[in-house]
Amino acid sequence: MLVDLAGGWNPMLGRLAWSQIPYDNPILAPLFVAVVIGAVLVLGLITYYGKWTYLWKEWLTTVDHKKLGVMYILIGLVMLFRGFIDGLMIRTQQAWAVGPHSSGVFGATHGYLTPFHFGQVYSAHGVIMILLAATPLLVGFMNIIVPIQIGARDMAYPYLNALGLWFTAAAGALIMISLFVGDFAHNGWFGYAPIFELQYSPGVGVDYWIWTMELLALGTTLGGINILATIIKMRAPGMTWGRLPIFVWASLASNVIALTSFPALQVALALVAADRYLGAHFFTAGLGGNLMLYTNLFWIWGHPEVYFVILPAFGMMSEIFPTFSEKPLFGYMTMVLASMAIAGVSWLVWLHHFFTMGAGPYVNSAFSVATMLVGIPTGVKVFNWAFTMYRGRLTFNAAMLWAIGALFLLLVGGLTGMMLAVPAINYMVHNSVFVVAHFHSMLLTIVYAIFASVIYWFPKVFGFKLNEFWAKTMFWLFSAGTALVFVPMYMLGFMGMTRRLDYVFNTAWHPYLLVMEFGIVVYTLSVLAFFALLYVSVRDHASNQVGADAWGTSRSLEWLTHSPVPFYNFAVLPHVNARDEVAWRRDNGIDHVQPDHYEDIHMPNNTGVAIVLGGLTFVLGFALVWRIWWLCAFSLLAIIALVIYRSFKGDPGYIITAAELEQMEKAAMRREARIGKQQHRVGSGVLGEAIAYARSDLPSLASQPGSTGGLDHRS
Amino acid sequence: MQVKWRNNLKNGCRHAALAPILLLSGCAGTPFWIFDPKGLMADTNLFYLLVDVGIMGGIVGLTALLVIWFMWRYQKGKNRGKYDPTWSHSNTIEVVVWGIPIIAVGFLSYFAVTGTFEINPYNPTVITNHLKPVSDPVEVDVIATDWQWLFVYPQYHMAVANDLVLPAHTPVFFRLTSSAVTTTFFIPQLVGMIDVMPGMRTKNALESNHVGEYQGIASDYAGAGTSWMTFKTKIVKSADFREWVRKVQQSPTSMTYASFNDYADPYINVHHKVAYFSSVPDGLFDHVVDEVMKGKTWPIPPMMTENMVAYMQKQNAEHRD
Repeated sequence: MLVDLAGGWNPMLGRLAWSQIPYDNPILAPLFVAVVIGAVLVLGLITYYGKWTYLWKEWLTTVDHKKLGVMYILIGLVMLFRGFIDGLMIRTQQAWAVGPHSSGVFGATHGYLTPFHFGQVYSAHGVIMILLAATPLLVGFMNIIVPIQIGARDMAYPYLNALGLWFTAAAGALIMISLFVGDFAHNGWFGYAPIFELQYSPGVGVDYWIWTMELLALGTTLGGINILATIIKMRAPGMTWGRLPIFVWASLASNVIALTSFPALQVALALVAADRYLGAHFFTAGLGGNLMLYTNLFWIWGHPEVYFVILPAFGMMSEIFPTFSEKPLFGYMTMVLASMAIAGVSWLVWLHHFFTMGAGPYVNSAFSVATMLVGIPTGVKVFNWAFTMYRGRLTFNAAMLWAIGALFLLLVGGLTGMMLAVPAINYMVHNSVFVVAHFHSMLLTIVYAIFASVIYWFPKVFGFKLNEFWAKTMFWLFSAGTALVFVPMYMLGFMGMTRRLDYVFNTAWHPYLLVMEFGIVVYTLSVLAFFALLYVSVRDHASNQVGADAWGTSRSLEWLTHSPVPFYNFAVLPHVNARDEVAWRRDNGIDHVQPDHYEDIHMPNNTGVAIVLGGLTFVLGFALVWRIWWLCAFSLLAIIALVIYRSFKGDPGYIITAAELEQMEKAAMRREARIGKQQHRVGSGVLGEAIAYARSDLPSLASQPGSTGGLDHRS
Repeated sequence: MQVKWRNNLKNGCRHAALAPILLLSGCAGTPFWIFDPKGLMADTNLFYLLVDVGIMGGIVGLTALLVIWFMWRYQKGKNRGKYDPTWSHSNTIEVVVWGIPIIAVGFLSYFAVTGTFEINPYNPTVITNHLKPVSDPVEVDVIATDWQWLFVYPQYHMAVANDLVLPAHTPVFFRLTSSAVTTTFFIPQLVGMIDVMPGMRTKNALESNHVGEYQGIASDYAGAGTSWMTFKTKIVKSADFREWVRKVQQSPTSMTYASFNDYADPYINVHHKVAYFSSVPDGLFDHVVDEVMKGKTWPIPPMMTENMVAYMQKQNAEHRD
């Protein structure tokens, strides 16, 4: 042992001991029982209905980017719920533990959470919301939408895609198990030096935090490589850079950030691990360590990460506003430029997260001005959305409402962000709940965009629309909750209330904290409305079926193929003629044209390697947390062996023959005909239309010879 | 000239801008500490806040109104505005939408930079430019431990724990360090935040002309006792300050390097205990910085991380309370 460990260690179980199981904790023990009962129930139901084979074949071993995307989004939604429960706990503690006369239970002098437990709750809340909710949700959408929008059959690396998902799932499992085995870090989602050092955090919580974040960083980096390669190499014929849908541009900008910044996080965390496991002194206060080095390294990743999550959200809004304004996005080129500008500037602003560190005025001034530069492209985006609505024909359905909500929250977040960018203001509100309210405005912008996208793209993936009434009910409840929680929070910031207080010493803040508690109750209602939305939509799915163009006013390429999207995306890769291809085809009257003949296509095989690697990674993470060295060695060797085995085996893929394809296409077209929203004129005899699907550079195609446009594609 | 313009803004517009909030809270002192500064530093912070919100609030407010107007005018089926399904570009609008943010950011950048220098914690020109020979600044060395504040007055060779008393109309210069983890020193109505870090020294300063009692906060998470790591800041008249110094100097307890070692052990100051130390060794501040740089730590007992009530019983049993 290179470091002294509190609580003993043995070669067999490492630091693991019965005392590490919080069976006497009045909150965790009942929760554990509930989780076990729930798990047994779910597993039992799967067995009862004999769905194991289906689950394994169709989901757990899949390399289909849409299914992987759906699983990413499922993980994201589950973790969003977990993070919300953490938020509920934080709000309840702060509404309860106010003033010296407030009561205390469960070992806390005030409220119901001890300071250490409270620290874990808000740290988990931050890690989960940013890295396990927002990130998987957005990566999930990029996974589903990007390949269809650029006319590809799958990602560039389908197996790598599955690997990214299962790493993310392993990280999620690791943070969830920290609830019941050991504890979690109390140092905030970004970690403080030197409080995460062994002297100040002797337990395993910080180790859970390190390995969860490392796994997520790994998964997201792999995902980033994949999405970049897909966008650069897999575009359909005619999909030039200037015709790329704006969400794809946003994904491109976002993943450039991911690919370049996540390694910085991995290095920073590896150095923390060196301090805690090897007794190094990278970030200790003494013996040559430099604790602000950690803060710099973390935010060199941390700030680009903020734009990694906001850029896809901007992309989503840029898709939704034009569809429901029934006209093209205003200022496509400036939108692209603005996305790239934000991605670039994201690297120049990290120091604004610690203006109060005591850097000199020249340093602070430089970062202050750089930070305000972000406001320029962001402001342009807001104006562009506004002018997309200008002279439009606006439909305020649920997706549009969520997108507009995102726009207004962005305005609030932008205003307060410009305040925080000025050091002279920042000194007064840094580390106060004002900052908390600011970044929640920004992150809720993302959440609003995500819910808009769930509603907007759901019919594309599943073939039926979500219930409008419940989607709108949820929107209004969620918005009321947002106002009730964050308006008082901004006010408390101006009152000087600092963040992360597990005990609130000033009773003057109590009324505002109670309003926020009420707000979180309203949020809870919106969560229930979301469950109702899912239930009602699935129940009535037969009457909500849609065809390819689910909204009737859709614009980009993903709306060309059937809904739900077949696993091969496009039977024949379409030829792209315009920026808003579907709108262009609709305007030229060839939106219903289908290919006249099919050719064999090549698809990747499913693989069980990815999920097994994910499982082994989880074991490795768990063994590292508890320092069970034999298990670390075993799982690491198994991972290496499996990777080598798979690289020798490779994947030859398989062929879907033209006949099979035709059959499946016919079935899909019959479905659309039955729905009656789309009138297909297959083989209607109009000369040229037969080949127009794959190659339709011109609306009048009579003189064009036949072409196999893009059929040489191989994944 | 600028100063006069600024004073007008501060005294006139500020009251106008903040009137609704101040009225809400009545005359008994507003709970909005940031809007109610009582010192030169905090005053300057508020000035920049008002400038920034004035400019950005105008732009954001107008944009919001624009969006709402478009939403109303172009709603489908209402036929209020013209529908143009192909309109998606206008050079004029592009220039305007890039121009407005660029001009606003340029304008704000000027204020951001001047403000950064005016309240630069190491040399705040709002204070240092007006130093007079008679000012006779007070120096305070701040040492944060887990989880108490020790204020050393090197000029008077004395120290006070968890209570900061300062004379009015006098510049005060702080040096700050921590014996344990990183936290932040913050007195909302007097001076903005500055990080307090182990093995390092930061600085800050304040000057207040308002006699009164102001809340001081440890505004960065430092572990279990952070929420109780608060202190009162009392701005008193010069005569009262001299009286208070005499009182502290008559305290029976004194602090040595050895007793600091005990004092710095983790301690949750639930009862806001204040302690006076009639004497401290010269150079205690540098001594603490040196020790921490050499690797000295005051580790947190694992028990503290489990059960607050049980730990408090232990803390009481050790008669440290």
